[in-house]
Amino acid sequence: MRDTVFAIARNTFKETIRDRILYSLLAFAVLAIAGSWLAGSVSLGQETRVIQNFGLTAMLVFLLVITIFIGTQLVYREVERKTIYMVLTKPVSRDAFYLGKFLGLALTLTVVTAVMGAAFLGLVALKTNTVSAIQVVAIGLMLFEAWLLTAVGMLFSSFTAPLSSAIYTFCLALIGHASTVLLAISEKSAPIVGSIIQFVYYVFPNLEKFNLRNEVVFGAPVDWVFVGWGAAYAVVYTGALLLFGIAIIRRHEF
Amino acid sequence: MSSRPFFRSPGYLALIALVLAYVVQINLDAQRFYSSSTAKVEVSLNYFIEPQPPSPTNARLTSFGATEFMADWYWLKIIQYYGGGDPGGQYRKLAEMFHLVTELSPRFTAAYQTGLLILPGEGFVDEAIALGKKGQDRLPERWEMPYYTGLVYHISKKDYAAAAAEFERAATKQGAPAITKLFAAIYYKEANSRQTAYQLFKTIYETGETEFARERAAKYVEHLNIYFMLEDATRRFYSEIGRYPKNADELLSARYVESIPPSPLNQTFLIDPVTGTISETKTGSS
Repeated sequence: MRDTVFAIARNTFKETIRDRILYSLLAFAVLAIAGSWLAGSVSLGQETRVIQNFGLTAMLVFLLVITIFIGTQLVYREVERKTIYMVLTKPVSRDAFYLGKFLGLALTLTVVTAVMGAAFLGLVALKTNTVSAIQVVAIGLMLFEAWLLTAVGMLFSSFTAPLSSAIYTFCLALIGHASTVLLAISEKSAPIVGSIIQFVYYVFPNLEKFNLRNEVVFGAPVDWVFVGWGAAYAVVYTGALLLFGIAIIRRHEF
Repeated sequence: MSSRPFFRSPGYLALIALVLAYVVQINLDAQRFYSSSTAKVEVSLNYFIEPQPPSPTNARLTSFGATEFMADWYWLKIIQYYGGGDPGGQYRKLAEMFHLVTELSPRFTAAYQTGLLILPGEGFVDEAIALGKKGQDRLPERWEMPYYTGLVYHISKKDYAAAAAEFERAATKQGAPAITKLFAAIYYKEANSRQTAYQLFKTIYETGETEFARERAAKYVEHLNIYFMLEDATRRFYSEIGRYPKNADELLSARYVESIPPSPLNQTFLIDPVTGTISETKTGSS
C-alpha cells in the first residue's frame, strides 16, 4: 500500500505543481512579499518591523488561498471527471487514494512555502544582513497549519461541493485563529456562552498553536517547547482529520 | 423588448443603496461621538475620509492571528491620517487609533512614543497619559515610557510633581540618559518638593555619568543650600521678633545670616513678609 500511496502522491504533486493558477498565485505572493519593502519605506523608521509583518502575513494569506482552493478541489475533481473510477478499478484502495492525494498536495505546499520563504528571508537578509532562527521556525509552523487545513479541505470535499468546502475551510481557519481570543473574552461572559466557546476552543483546530509570526518582529528566542507541542498537535489533528476523511470516502458511493 | 429607464436598473439602484448606507454610517458615527447636547457637530471633509478603526477585540478576532501585522496596518493609517492634514483641524480618531495599535501590538515602542508626542498637541492629553501608563505596564524595562509621560505632564498638564515622579521612574531604568535624574530633580524643585529635589541633585552630583549633569546638579545643590539657609534664618527671625523679615537683606542686617551668596542659577530670593514663604525669581526680572 505504501508504494501505491507514494505513486498517487507523486502524481498529485505533478498535477498540482503544473497548475497555472498555482503559478500565478505564487507570482502574486512573491510580489506581495517584495511589496512589503514599499510599505516599510513609508512607516516612519519601522522598515524592518513592517517588512517582516507584511511579508509573513502575505505568505499566510497566499498559503491559505492555495490550500483552500486546491485542497477542496482535489478529490472532487477526480469524482467529477470520473477519473476516480479508473483509479479505483485498479488494485488501489480508497485509503491509499485519499492519503496519496493528501501527501501530494502537502508536498506541493512545502515547495510553495519554500519558494515564498526564500523570497521573504532574502528580503529580510537584504534589509538586516541577518536571518534569525525564529523567522525560519515561524515559516515552518505556517506549513504545519497549511497541512492541517489541507486535511480539513479534503475532509469537507469528500462529502460536499468545492465552493461549500472552501467556505467551510475558510470559516474554520478564521475560528481556529480567533478561538484563543474568544476564550479570553468568554471569562467575562455568561457560563453557557463560556461553555460553548470552550467547546469551540478544544474541538475545532486551534491554529494559534502554529503562530509564531507575532514574535518574529521582536527577535525573540525560539520556544522549542511551543514548537514541539505545535508539531505534535499538527500531526495528531491532521491524522484524525485524514482518518475521518478515509471513513467517509470508504462509504462513498461513486 | 422595451428598454427600462436607466435609474431602474439594478446596478444603479445598488449604487444608490450603497451611498445611502454610507450616509447612514456617517450619521451614526457622528451621533456616537457627538451625542452630548452641548457638543457642536462640525463636519469637515476629513470626517468622510477619516479612518474607522475597529475595536481591538474585533481586530484581533478577524486578524487570522496576524495581530502584529494589523498593528502595522493601522500604524501606516495613522501616518497617512496625521500626515495628510485635517481640514477641520481635528483628528477625532487619533487617540482611538493609537489605542488600537498598542492593543494589537503591546510592545510596539515607537507607537507609544509617537502617540505621547502627537496626542497632547491635538487635545488628547488624558489619552496620551493613559497611553504612557499602558506603555509602562507593558514595557516596564523601557525608560522612554515614563520619560515621555513626564514630558506630557510637564508641557500639557503643568503638573510638575507628576512629571518629576515620571522622570524619577525613568531614571531607574536601564539605558536612561543620565540627565533624566536631573530632570526629576528640577521638576521636584518646580513643584516645591525641595527636599526631594535636593536629595536627587546631591545624588546626581556625586554619581552623575556626564560632566554636564554633575556641573548642573552642583549648581542646584548650592542654590538649594542657600534656600534652606534663608528658610532656617526666617524661621528663627519669626520666633525671636514675632514677625517675618521684609526681605532677605533684613536677615543680613539683623545678623541672622552672615552673608547671602549669589545663586549659581542667577536667581534672587524673595521673602513674603506676611507668610514668610521664600520664592525665587530670575535676577533682573523683578
